Amino acid sequence: MPPSVDSLLLRAINSLDVLAGTAAPIEDEWQYVRDLVTVWGGALRAVADARVGQVAPPAAEAAIDRLAAEAASVVDPHRAIDWLSTMPAVALLAVGAGSQ
Amino acid sequence: MRFQNAATDGRAIVYAAIQADPLVERAARLLADAGYPERLLARAAMNGQTLDPDAWRTMFPTLFGPDSDDETRARANAVLAVSLDVAGRGEQVRSQFRGAIVGALTERLLERRVPATAIRRERRILFDGIATEIHPYDVTVEVPGAAEAYDCKWGARGIGADVLNQLDDARRHAVDEGERLTAVLVIFDAGRTCQTRLARQTAPRQGLRMVTLETLDRMAGTAKR
Repeated sequence: MPPSVDSLLLRAINSLDVLAGTAAPIEDEWQYVRDLVTVWGGALRAVADARVGQVAPPAAEAAIDRLAAEAASVVDPHRAIDWLSTMPAVALLAVGAGSQ
Repeated sequence: MRFQNAATDGRAIVYAAIQADPLVERAARLLADAGYPERLLARAAMNGQTLDPDAWRTMFPTLFGPDSDDETRARANAVLAVSLDVAGRGEQVRSQFRGAIVGALTERLLERRVPATAIRRERRILFDGIATEIHPYDVTVEVPGAAEAYDCKWGARGIGADVLNQLDDARRHAVDEGERLTAVLVIFDAGRTCQTRLARQTAPRQGLRMVTLETLDRMAGTAKR
């Protein structure tokens, strides 16, 4: 059975925490990293809540899985901060939520 | 108020060489013609870890999936190729190229709204009795009575007190001289991220105009795609 939009976006939210952990050594950006996790996590959750149970578009699951793998592969903390701002937007696009 | 070429110091020489690299112009032209999904792909791939194009195609089913047409796929493949070319150049070099690409993209988009002869790069703005700013603007539109100054950044982390103060000072000094200057911050990053970064800043931001990944086409005078 194809996955639902909300289940895929919950996977993306988990990736936010992974990236925040990688970004942790940059102490000067600690607040910014926490803010990004809060703001983007909220945005992903809002779309997930609005589309609970809706079947995800074709290829969205593979996209989210590959995004999660990419997030997990980031080892440089600066790059992790860059990815915190990019990964959630890509996840939203993958499930057809555009630039929300 | 008047405009002046930036000093030809070491930074300017190094940066000019990067700006002149054909890869920068190729990326800027592709991104000027692109829509939001392709621009997001460029940001992701130039920020990313993997250089495997198929991995990026998997992450962007909107562009490469079963429902995308040949034209969309071709345009996206061109953006992906140029983005991976930048990403493959190593951390420091990719960082310099990314900044140069945002400046060049800004120039290409502005050319759709104002005469190319009015658009200049790396210029300082001088005001009567005011010490010259250290950093030149990436792009200026030098039209009497309707000047524009653009500070271009790859990501929201480029938003800081120094940048906000410089833009605010320029705008206020122009008003003091009875001139009109539109000061704009161009960030090749998501609007939500930029607002998050801006929210913690205490520097003045009244009248700040900000262009983000979703709204780049406003510089060309066209609607958001």
